[in-house]
Amino acid sequence: MTEPMIFDDETLMTFADGELDEATTLAVERAMETDDALMMRVATFMETRAAAHAAFTPAEPVPAALEESVRGMVERHRAAAQPTSNVVSLGAARTKRFAFAQSTWQLPLAASLATAIAAGFIGYQLGQGPGSAPADSDPGGFSNAEIASVLDSAASGDEVAIADGSGRVRMISSFKEQSGALCREYEVDRSAGASLVAVSCRDDGEWAMRFAVAAPAGGDGYAPASSLDALEAYLGAIEAGPALTADEERAALSEAAR
Amino acid sequence: MTSPPNDIGDQLIAFLPNMRRFALSLSRAPDIADDLVQQACERALANAASFEPGTRFDAWIFRIIRNLWIDRTRRQKTAGPSEDVYERQDLVGEDGQQVVDARQALTSVKEALDAMPEEQRAIVMLVCVDDLSYRDAAEVLGVPIGTVMSRLARARKRLAEMTGINPAPGRSTGARD
Repeated sequence: MTEPMIFDDETLMTFADGELDEATTLAVERAMETDDALMMRVATFMETRAAAHAAFTPAEPVPAALEESVRGMVERHRAAAQPTSNVVSLGAARTKRFAFAQSTWQLPLAASLATAIAAGFIGYQLGQGPGSAPADSDPGGFSNAEIASVLDSAASGDEVAIADGSGRVRMISSFKEQSGALCREYEVDRSAGASLVAVSCRDDGEWAMRFAVAAPAGGDGYAPASSLDALEAYLGAIEAGPALTADEERAALSEAAR
Repeated sequence: MTSPPNDIGDQLIAFLPNMRRFALSLSRAPDIADDLVQQACERALANAASFEPGTRFDAWIFRIIRNLWIDRTRRQKTAGPSEDVYERQDLVGEDGQQVVDARQALTSVKEALDAMPEEQRAIVMLVCVDDLSYRDAAEVLGVPIGTVMSRLARARKRLAEMTGINPAPGRSTGARD
């Protein structure tokens, strides 16, 4: 009986872990064919790895407090890296939304829906309760009829003074709902106080407000990103169609007026 | 408003369970492990620029945890001639458990590792549990790759003895150290 080749533990472990060089790997493989003891030693290293892996996999869930804390840390770092990340220009946000709208309204909903709920559809507090018909109530404190006439006629991009100049309506975009109803996204500014980011859709020949979020005061074209998140969540949830082009919008408006 | 899809923050959050698992293996105390993870995240975010894209994120963050742990324990020993002082201790209890069912074996793997010196435990976690290469593990621990291999081989032989893995009585021809 020939003396078996001697391999030390580290070599066999390296073999078991697949980190051994090719030449030595071949030598170990050849030796294992006739040397059961050698094979057992290799098996020990394979099994210890598998056992350790199994014993600690999957990793225990992270305590909620720790995860919260790290998430907060990450957010703070992002905010610090981009000092204005919390507040966006409505103009910039509109461009972003609009660019997005031209492909699809599909949006990542998970986080933004929560924002929408948290925002509590504040807009409704300004006028009607959720789900109820807007009737003559007053989006942003203005008469529904006056806003409706703007919705009937103004093109997206237009800004129309209302209530004798004490307020303004800015038309943002138009799109079709799943049902095919025409919807318009717009903002209502009061000279003092919050502006309103709203969506109204054409229902039985009337404009019905479907969504409204108050963007806290600022009055200079800035709204917190969260109110726009809420809007985007809403648009995603109703599977709003792509934003209409100017021509499409004109056609849809004249059709609605008939 | 947007961050790069693979920024450090997202990677950190996704990797929290692994970070905590490694921190636990070092400290064996959940509160200290949580502290270590938290500090490591702070350090990683502050030093995000020092992470080289293309290198292993896990090795980078494990090294941060490891260094924080060293700071914390003010251990002088990270490498070098004294590396094996903890590895000479013999552990008892390996006898009488030749037959164990799978579930018991899993528990006892944790117990066996807990009973090992920290240096051995850490290397088993990095290589066998988190699948780092010897080289990456050596980076994390700040020791030569040869040290990684000798520690790891010793730790796994001990683990096998203690948990009854592949007992093969009388068949072991492995060199005893």
